[in-house]
Amino acid sequence: MEIKAFMKEVSSVKGVTKVGLVRNNVVKCNLDKEGSKDFFVKLKDDFGFEHCSLITAIDNQPQFELVYHFSAINGSVFVKDSSAAVMAEIHIFLDRDTPTVESISDLWFGANWHEREAFDLMGIYFIGHPDLRRVLLPEGFAGHPLRKDYVYEIHEEEW
Amino acid sequence: MAEMWISMGPQHPMTHGLWTLKVKVDGETIVDADPELGYLHRSVEKMGERRKYFMNTTLTDRLCYASSTTWTHCYALSVEELMEVEVPQRAQYIRTIMLELQRLASHLMWAGAYMPDLGHITGALYFWRDRELFLNLLEAPSGSRLLYNYIRIGGVKRDLPDGFEQKTERILKLFEQRLDEYADLFENSKIFRMRTEDVGKFTAAQAQNLGITGPNLRGCGTKFDLREHDTYEIYDEIDWDIQTREAGPGYSDCFSRYMVRIDEMRESIKIIRECFKKMPAGPTMASKIPVRATGEAFRRTEDSRGEALMYVVGDGSDRPYRWKIKSPMFTTISACPHYLKGYKVADIPAIMGSIDICIGETDK
Repeated sequence: MEIKAFMKEVSSVKGVTKVGLVRNNVVKCNLDKEGSKDFFVKLKDDFGFEHCSLITAIDNQPQFELVYHFSAINGSVFVKDSSAAVMAEIHIFLDRDTPTVESISDLWFGANWHEREAFDLMGIYFIGHPDLRRVLLPEGFAGHPLRKDYVYEIHEEEW
Repeated sequence: MAEMWISMGPQHPMTHGLWTLKVKVDGETIVDADPELGYLHRSVEKMGERRKYFMNTTLTDRLCYASSTTWTHCYALSVEELMEVEVPQRAQYIRTIMLELQRLASHLMWAGAYMPDLGHITGALYFWRDRELFLNLLEAPSGSRLLYNYIRIGGVKRDLPDGFEQKTERILKLFEQRLDEYADLFENSKIFRMRTEDVGKFTAAQAQNLGITGPNLRGCGTKFDLREHDTYEIYDEIDWDIQTREAGPGYSDCFSRYMVRIDEMRESIKIIRECFKKMPAGPTMASKIPVRATGEAFRRTEDSRGEALMYVVGDGSDRPYRWKIKSPMFTTISACPHYLKGYKVADIPAIMGSIDICIGETDK
C-alpha cells in the first residue's frame, strides 16, 4: 500500500484526526482514547506494522500525552521510489485525573516494557497489561519522577 | 523434578553490566525467566530536561561506553531535525567515518566479551587488542579514549587531524588480515560452533513482534538496516550492502548472530574507505545554531545494537521539555524469556552474550 493510500485509509477510521506527514516516510495522527485498541489491531493486522518502536509519555500540564511510534519492517506500507521504511506516529491525549489507556502489549510484545516504563516514570496506567510493575525504579518508590509536578528533595541548582 | 527459581546477578559473569536474570528451572532446563533492570538507572532523561540542548551531548556519551558516538549522533540528529539545522557536507562525511569506526570498536568489544562467556579467554585478548587500534583512531580527533563528545549539534567539534587517512588505512589493512585469521580461529572451530549452533533460536516474525532489532534481527535473514531504510548522513551516497545471515529459513541462532557482526565489520571497513575517497573540503560546523527550539522531532539511527530513537519536544526555551530515549537493548532484554525457554542453564551465557547487552543505554 502506498503511503498516500495509507493516509487516506487511516483518516477514515473513527477517532482519528489530524492525519499528516512529518517527513516523507512518517505519518502522524491524533487518536481518541476510546476505541484506541480497535485502531491498533487494525494497524497491526491490516496495515502490517510489525514493530512497536517506542511509547513516550509526556506531561503537558495538565494533560498527559502518549506518543506511539510504529514501524513497518517488511514494507507492507511503502513510499514510492524510496527504500525508506514507513513509520506511524500516533498521539493520544489523557486527562490528568484518569491517566489510563488500554494496553497494547498483547499485540506487540515489544510494547510491554515501554508501557511498564511509562507507568514507572510517568504514572500512566495501562489497562490489561499482564505485569504492570516498576521497571527502572525500585519497588516501593513513591511518585513518578518524570511528571513535571514531582518535587525533589534535594536542593535545585541552576545550571 | 521440582521447579525452582535461580537468581543470576546483579553480580554475575554472564550479565555484562548490572542486571538480574531470574530463571525458573526444572532440573537443568529453563522453564521461565524474569529479567530485572534498574541497577544502573541514572535518570538521564530527567537530567536532560534541566540542561541546555548543547550540554546534553555529554550525557548521551555516557549512555553506552562501548558505543558512545552513535548515541551522541542520534541525539544531535534529532535536535538538528527539531532546530532545522543544516549540517555541512564535510561534517557528514566525518560523522559517518566516526560512526563506522565506533561500530567496529563496539562489535570488537562485544566479540571480546562473548568469547569468555564460552570459555575462550584467548579470544577476548585477541579482539580487545584490535579494539585498542580503533580506540586510538577515535582518540585522534576527539582527544579521549571512550567518551568522545566529538559530534555536536550542527556538525563535529573539529576537523580530522593531519595524516588521519593514512593512519586509518594502515590499521584497516592490518585488521582485514586479522579478520581472516579469526575466521580460522573461531568460525571453523568445532568447539565454538558446538556451543553456538542451534542455541537461542528465534524466527524473524517473532523477533519483529518482540521488538528485537539490529544485528539480532539481521541474523534471522531480515534485510532491515536503518542506514538504508531511514537513511541519514551520507549513507545513501555510498555503495554498501546490508549484511544478513540465517541459521535456517527465517530464524537465527547464536552463530548466525555472531557471523552477522563479523560481516558488518567488513562492511564498515568498506564504508570508511569510500568516505575518505569522496570526502569534500569545507567547514565542519553549521554557521548558525539556534539556542531555543519549539515543536517536536525524532530521528532513528542504526546503533551498533539496533534501532536507536530519540524523541525531543521543545517548548521554546533553551532546554528540552521532554527527551525520550529508545534503547534497542531495553526491548531485547525484555523478550529474553521467549528465547531462553527450553534451553539448558549452561546455554544462558551463550544466548545472552550473543545479543550484545549494554546496560548503560538500557537503564538510561
